[in-house]
Amino acid sequence: MTERRGQWLRGVLDLCVLGLLRDHESYGYQLAQSLDAAGIGPIQGGTLYPVLLRLERSGLITARWREGTGGPARKYYRITESGQAALGRGGPDWQAFATSVTAIVTGGVDG
Amino acid sequence: MNADQWLHAFAAELHHDRVAPEDIRHVVAEAATHLRDGGGDPWTVFGPPDRYAAVIAESVGTRPAPRPGPVLLHAEGITKRYGRRTVLRDAGLTVRAGQIAAVIGANGCGKSTFLRICAGLASPDRGQVTLAGRLAYCPQQGGTADFLLPDEHFVLVGAGRGMTRSTARRAGRATARQLGWESADPVPARQLSGGTRQKLNLTLSTLNEPDILLLDEPYQGFDRGSYVNFWDQLLRLRDAGRAIVVVTHLLNQLDRVDLVLDLTPAVPGGRPCTG
Repeated sequence: MTERRGQWLRGVLDLCVLGLLRDHESYGYQLAQSLDAAGIGPIQGGTLYPVLLRLERSGLITARWREGTGGPARKYYRITESGQAALGRGGPDWQAFATSVTAIVTGGVDG
Repeated sequence: MNADQWLHAFAAELHHDRVAPEDIRHVVAEAATHLRDGGGDPWTVFGPPDRYAAVIAESVGTRPAPRPGPVLLHAEGITKRYGRRTVLRDAGLTVRAGQIAAVIGANGCGKSTFLRICAGLASPDRGQVTLAGRLAYCPQQGGTADFLLPDEHFVLVGAGRGMTRSTARRAGRATARQLGWESADPVPARQLSGGTRQKLNLTLSTLNEPDILLLDEPYQGFDRGSYVNFWDQLLRLRDAGRAIVVVTHLLNQLDRVDLVLDLTPAVPGGRPCTG
């Protein structure tokens, strides 16, 4: 079950990150906590940071180092315009996909 | 392995994977803050350093390997006999700036002899060596003076190139540090451990910024961390355009070198294998 969740996540983690960054910037550890709090489950740094780096490299998010209040410098990520656009396309895509899967799987549950 | 050691190993692996130094600094700093915030075991949070480094290298991209430069060392047709025993038969090697060559082979197959011939310390019975640039040679043993302090070694060798005492000391200490050794303590060479003496030896051979570096199994007595630092240092020197020849019997590093010369002698009835 966990392995399957891991596989699902691999397909949508970038969209989830874009979704979390839609309204405000955030840093890696905070994103991991938000994902966990949202019910997606604990995300290890080893899974999260490569996704952040890829998003950064493809220009969907930008990053800058900033001192926290009293804390150490952290790398804050912020969504770009093309990131917003990608989220605007990817969000509905996922919804349509998830609806179709739900329809099929729910049939199985009922039968 | 604690978090600091994990981060150190991770940084070393990123370096091996040719991730740009700027990216390495950021990625390692970010992993460090993440570990500080979450307090988890790095092996659970990120996994083994080498595997995570490979994933990161794929995500951020890597520098292309610099194109090898001009030929700095060319040895051809090297044959050497001791009495009736032929130690080397028609051995050859060409190393360009920005390349590491490994010389391998069983014990007694002439690896050290080949290196000494390249260094001009022994003459071949046949064949010739052509060098372009300044040469440094790090022997398997010796090369240090028992009663001198590390700093005094640096000053002595640095003087050969007209370095001032303070410049030589600074350069020596900086290089030693890259090998994981704080060399400022006033300890005479004879009181250093075998591994540390080899670090001194290595430091001396790179102090004069040679173009060609010949190393004869220079890591004897190194612990694992020192061994990693040593290869890091070799890759740095390679990227800086040095031509490096390293004698080794440890084959697990061969994927990191550019050329391999296998001096294993011909098997009776088999094919000669002289590279």
